[in-house]
Formats: sequence, structure tokens, C-alpha cells
Amino acid sequence: MRDLLVAAAIGVAFGWTLERAGLGDPPKLAGQFYLRDFTVLKVMMSALVTAMLGAFWLDRLGVVDLGKVYVPETVLLPQLVGGLVFGFGFVLSGLCPGTSCVALASGRGEGAATVLGLLVGMLLMGLAFPSLEAFYGATPIGAMTLPRLTGLPYGVVVAGITVACVGLLAAIGRWEARR
Amino acid sequence: MSTTRRLGLGALALGLLAPFAGSPHRAVSGALDFDAIARAIDDGSDHVSARQLGTWIRARKPGLRVVDVRDAKAFAEDAIPTAENLPIDRLVSTAFKPGETVVLYSQEGAHAGQAWVLLKALGVTDVVFVPGGLADWWEEVMTPVLPADMLAADRDAAADLSRYFGGFPQVGVANGEPVTPKTYRRRGC
Repeated sequence: MRDLLVAAAIGVAFGWTLERAGLGDPPKLAGQFYLRDFTVLKVMMSALVTAMLGAFWLDRLGVVDLGKVYVPETVLLPQLVGGLVFGFGFVLSGLCPGTSCVALASGRGEGAATVLGLLVGMLLMGLAFPSLEAFYGATPIGAMTLPRLTGLPYGVVVAGITVACVGLLAAIGRWEARR
Repeated sequence: MSTTRRLGLGALALGLLAPFAGSPHRAVSGALDFDAIARAIDDGSDHVSARQLGTWIRARKPGLRVVDVRDAKAFAEDAIPTAENLPIDRLVSTAFKPGETVVLYSQEGAHAGQAWVLLKALGVTDVVFVPGGLADWWEEVMTPVLPADMLAADRDAAADLSRYFGGFPQVGVANGEPVTPKTYRRRGC
């Protein structure tokens, strides 16, 4: 029960932040794909850097144990195809699963339509699963992380991603100011 | 200086300090706790019988993860129900969630035993293997021959478990022929 309450609190905070960042607005999200609006990229990259640095330093300070964090397995080909399907739906509706719930909560019709599509998609996927099962598990490469893939120490990867993201965020900021 | 810029510089500073802070992945390779492994082998907490595994599967033991370490071809031919196929090379790169009970099995048990040591070395704590592997599964669960002098309650429990998995339990040896107890036809699916 406590876990559910904590999850609900985190979910509400997450949704509130998405809405505050303007990500409940489909034209804004679709604008990212046409390179008109960089909100999505900026929110995603700043969230990524914050979460990465937070997780890394909380582990180093002994607050959490990163070794106990579950790393989902990478299954190359189906995840690649899934990513493309996801991206197609994303640009089509201007919403992703999280933001569709946010849009629905703030009373947008697009949100309701996307959530409905999401549920129907899940149902169809479940029904078609027996025939997709072989593909679902094809080309597995285990729990893959950048340190494991590159062989670089964890901290070096953290530094590299931080520099790349902050650099890109600064460049976007400058480009937007010039526009 | 704006807040955004300050946050960005803060992130950069934390990121650039990261390489000097050591690695979060302690004891990932080569750090074997020899004493703990020897103790587990000694007191038998390293393995579980096929019949016990059967009762766990039937009871839907929370966090149970049955892992077949044989190759995909052998797995496709015959496997323990609910098992997933993770050959040893994939097993070592698989992360297990905390709270999961990993049960390893192979054809006869040797490979599962080796996989058990590997997972222990990788720091997976809750892992056991089926000593006789799939052969044990067939002998103890699917087609068990239950001694006639076995306690009736135990015998019924074992026969029940066998039928749950679609097996054919036989009781005792009378005049050289095992006696097949009353079986129930499975209806529907």
C-alpha cells in the first residue's frame, strides 16, 4: 500500500512537471519533429542529466545502491522496430504515453483519443502476441549499458554525457535567442 | 548570472567530477565470497529438488524466475513450464531484480551448477539450481514412481502435483508392475 501511495505521488509530480513544461500540448510536441520547437529535447536532456547525476552521486555518497537498480534487457531488433512504431505514433498524435495522460487530465480531446488508441494497441498486441513471440525475443544482447558497451569507466561516461547534453542545451539556447 | 546558466554550470561541474569519484559497480567480477559459496554447498541451500520447484511454480511463488541454461533448440523441444531460456553466455549479462528467486536447470544439472557459481560470483544472492535438471523433472514430477509404503498424504500430494503439470504418477511396484492410480481426464483446455 505504501509503495502504491509513493508511486501515485511520484506519478502526480511527474505529470504536473510535464504539464508545466508544456508537454501536454500536441502541436508543441509535434513541433520537435519539424525542428520548430525544441521544448521536448530540452526537457528530455535536462531530465536525463539530472537523473544521471543524481543517481551517480547519490550512489557515491552511499544514499542508494546503483548495483540494486534493475537494468532492463536490450533486445535489439524488436526494440528498434518498436521505437519506430512509437515514433510514428508520437508524431501522428503529438503525444507519447506519459504526455497523453497529462493531456487527458487537463481535459484535451487529443489526450483522450491517444489514451484510447494506446489501450486498443495494447489489447491488439496482447492478442497477436503468440504469432509475434519469436520476434519479441529475437537478437537479445542482455542488460546493456554504455559503460559495458564502450568499456569506459562509469564516471567517464557520466562526464561525457553531461558535457554533450549541457553543450547541446547551450547551443539550442543560443540558436533560439538569435531567432 | 541567470538560474539556467547556474544550473548548467552546476551540472557540468558534477559531471566532470564523476570520473574521479570511483565506480558504482563494486564486486562485479572476480570477487568471489568463497566462504559463503562453500557454506551454501555444504548445507544444501545451493539447490532445490524438481518436486519443490514444481510446488513453487504451482503456488506462483512471488519473484520466482525459472531459467533454462541450455541452448534455444533444446529449450524449444522440452522445458519446465514457466521457464525462460537464458543460455550461459546470456545469463551472465542478465540483471536480476532484487527479490527474485532464480532457479537454474539444464539437461542433467552440471551446466546449471556451473551457472550457479557464475551468478554467485556476479553477486546474485537468491539463486539455486535443480541438481538433476530436466531429467529430474521428468523423474520426480512428470512420471514419478511413488513407493507404495510412502505416507498416503505425501503420495497424494506428489501425485496431485504431477497431474497438475499433466504428468502420469505411478504408485509402488506390485508384482513387478507399477500401479497407475486413478487418473482424471482433463476436460476443456
